[in-house]
Amino acid sequence: MKMLEVKGLKKSFGDLQVLDGVSFSVEKGETVAVIGPSGSGKSTMLRCLIDLEKADAGDIMVENEFLMQDGVYVQDKKAQQICAKMGMVFQSFNLFPHMSVLDNLVCAPVSVKKEPREQAIQRAKKLLQEVGLSDKADVYPSALSGGQKQRVAIARALMMNPDMLLFDEPTSSLDPQLTSEVLSVMKKLAEEKMTMVVVTHEMGFAKEAASKILFMCDKEIIAEGTKEDIFDHPKDRRIKEFIDSILS
Amino acid sequence: MMNYLFSIALLMMDGIKYTLEIFFVTIILSMPLGLMLTFFRTSKIKIVKAITGFYVWIMRGTPLLLQLFFFYYGLALISDNPLFREALTLSRMQAALVAFVLNYAAYFCEIFRGGLLAIDKGQYEAAKVLGLSKKQTLTKIVLPQLLRVTLPSISNESITLVKDTALVTAIGVTEILYFAKARVNADVNASAYLVAALFYLVMNFVLTKFFAYMEKKYSY
Repeated sequence: MKMLEVKGLKKSFGDLQVLDGVSFSVEKGETVAVIGPSGSGKSTMLRCLIDLEKADAGDIMVENEFLMQDGVYVQDKKAQQICAKMGMVFQSFNLFPHMSVLDNLVCAPVSVKKEPREQAIQRAKKLLQEVGLSDKADVYPSALSGGQKQRVAIARALMMNPDMLLFDEPTSSLDPQLTSEVLSVMKKLAEEKMTMVVVTHEMGFAKEAASKILFMCDKEIIAEGTKEDIFDHPKDRRIKEFIDSILS
Repeated sequence: MMNYLFSIALLMMDGIKYTLEIFFVTIILSMPLGLMLTFFRTSKIKIVKAITGFYVWIMRGTPLLLQLFFFYYGLALISDNPLFREALTLSRMQAALVAFVLNYAAYFCEIFRGGLLAIDKGQYEAAKVLGLSKKQTLTKIVLPQLLRVTLPSISNESITLVKDTALVTAIGVTEILYFAKARVNADVNASAYLVAALFYLVMNFVLTKFFAYMEKKYSY
């Protein structure tokens, strides 16, 4: 089943075009890694999928429902409903600093879905255990390391029971040691067949956990395939240059 | 000597109720009003934004003392119609409260606007992807952080307000300084000023402690 289908996505900021006809699709249970040089439009593309940026043209279809058709967005209420199927994890975590870790997790389910607080707390505690942060339920985000913050952010996104998770460079602001603790949570999710789209600079993660890799460059997806297709037999010169630049 | 100072203090107790009334009414009304102005001031509707900007300019750009005089002596004179004149004639205390609330609301508007700018846009994005409505984002995410980051400025403004209450003596409200001045003139002895100063210092001491406690309580 197709979880996400994007066709001919275009986006400009003023005169600066950042996406020029991006098309791809994501199957249920797939982990898709989006890689490519900085400034190639990866993050913008991801942000368009969940309505944080408005694309100018193209189609976005989530679970066979249009979020945008021919460059026209569905009405707000419908868009909200469609975006609720997705969760998002940001590079800068964006935890709510004035709430404890536990409150960060239960805030949305309780206020948006009207879930009973006690029930939400039980689920939150279970999720915190899964990301290895049971002992941090009552602390504020400022007391956490970057890796811990990001794991809380992942748990917070999972609290809304999304069908698909979007990750916008989730480890780019972490040092290598903290990166690995976040990646291991993401790998576990991939093994559990959570559908994920991950914009990342972590080639290790792309190689190990991604079932499909999209290579973005110059406002487009210039290659799509398995890790062998991309890393071992790159068809485009730009891919080879990118891989060489990372390895050197 | 002690007896003399004590008798002055006793006399001033009568004035302290006006000082406190102006302080509390101004704080309680001007903060929500200022917050409302902040939303107008940051509105996408240009005319609303411009009118609020103009209001803030007037209120912050002219002396509070002038505004007090205007509301007490000047307001009723803007109309020739006796009915209007009567309606616009404010008592000393009414004029004082109107001037203070309107003036402080302008300052709070700018304080809260600064606080709003300090909130990371990632907070709005996180709230949005979690499905929070605009209202929920405001009440659960933005306002708590806004109040927290502006707490030091609110504290500062409150201390200024305590001292500004002394200005109303100029339109004859019988607050602390009014009595102090009367005593000094009658007794040809400056100690009444000292007693008045002590009153203000004590009030501001309590306020400082209160805000320090709040800052600690809501730190994160």
